[in-house]
Amino acid sequence: MSEAKRSGQFVTPGERLGVIEEFIPGYGTYVEQSFVYSNIIGRVLLDVLNKEVSVHPLAHRVNVPQVGSIVTGQVSSVSSKSATLRISKIGKKILTGFFTGLLHISAVSPRYVETMFEVCKAGDIMRAKVISDKNRTYQLSTSDTNLGVISAFCSRCGYVLSSRRRQMFCPECEKIERRKTASDYGREIEGSADQHFEGNTT
Amino acid sequence: MTKKPLTLINKKNIRVDGRKLDELRPIKIELNIIGNANGSAYIEQGKNKILAAVYGPKEVHPRHLALPDRALLRCQYHMSPFSVKERKRPAPSRRETEISKVIRECLSPSIFGEYYPRTSIDIYIEVLEADGGTRCSGIIAASLALADAGIPLRDLVAACAAGKVEEHLVLDLNGPEDNKGTDMPIALMPTFNAVTLLQMNGILTTDEFEQALNLAVKGCEQVYTLQKEALKARYINVKEEVEEE
Repeated sequence: MSEAKRSGQFVTPGERLGVIEEFIPGYGTYVEQSFVYSNIIGRVLLDVLNKEVSVHPLAHRVNVPQVGSIVTGQVSSVSSKSATLRISKIGKKILTGFFTGLLHISAVSPRYVETMFEVCKAGDIMRAKVISDKNRTYQLSTSDTNLGVISAFCSRCGYVLSSRRRQMFCPECEKIERRKTASDYGREIEGSADQHFEGNTT
Repeated sequence: MTKKPLTLINKKNIRVDGRKLDELRPIKIELNIIGNANGSAYIEQGKNKILAAVYGPKEVHPRHLALPDRALLRCQYHMSPFSVKERKRPAPSRRETEISKVIRECLSPSIFGEYYPRTSIDIYIEVLEADGGTRCSGIIAASLALADAGIPLRDLVAACAAGKVEEHLVLDLNGPEDNKGTDMPIALMPTFNAVTLLQMNGILTTDEFEQALNLAVKGCEQVYTLQKEALKARYINVKEEVEEE
């Protein structure tokens, strides 16, 4: 256990990688009583230039929203000033559970938004960015062209709305609605819609 | 019914299942076998067959249980109705609630819960077949499942029981020995030599206690090498981190 580790060597949690004087502890490591240990399953990466030791993970990586991550989820409720999102996907990874995110009207778009009801409706699938994880909630933002509703449903008949110029149009009952859509509205969802619904039922 | 021998340990110091006094039961470990869980492990230790699954870190429900500074660790140890000779009623018994608690408390020092505040890490331990020392086997499997889930751990937790059967100090008691003698399960983080669980059922003198503890620590170290080997066997050929579909 005390022999020096080489780059690429397989380690399990709790293996000693060196002393704090030798290396700066990086990802997948921790320090206890001036020794550096691994805390995940992976391969050791010794950065001799920067004097840093890290562990490249081989098992699953823990999937938790962080500030800056792009999340996808279903709108669970909307009020005039905010909406809540059931986050089911972080980046491209689908979660086993759910996280709840809050989208406030001030973070919807750079422009003035009158009411949340013209941004999204309950049941819509939305893509957003996490801007804060303070105060027990994930604060979300959609103020970017690639963020916003990526699939919306007609509030009268439930049919999938199609984007027509700056409005949303229901091909079934010809109702016209408003949403803050992502630039690729209706395109990403074709492949992944089933996954979202699958995730929601479990 | 097979005839039970009159003594559990014969004159040559061989036990009912053919082991020496300080020998572990054969252990077989498999990892990552439950698709829906974030991490999972299956262990066979002698006749014990135990599944452990880890979910999380995920959002805490009910919300008021969430801890602002660290992850909430929840643990459920459960014995299947078919795990013992007579059908066990599936509702959690007093014993299971207690074991859930001690397993939770013995794993929590190994987990960096402070990395994931306001989340919960749920551990489920399902005993499919029981033959003594299921809490130890459960801890071994649960710790591997946590590592498999990619949750940062200070160290793997190894567990092993020692005890006294018919005036002999023995390692890793099986069912009949457990019923007859004194049983002392311990859990250990071997890198730091830190005992995270120590229970005892029966009577030992101070000297016997010390000897049994040393014996159990040695057993834990053997278990620890097996745990590391199991992780290595599963992950050594993995090029990149496992992608979830």
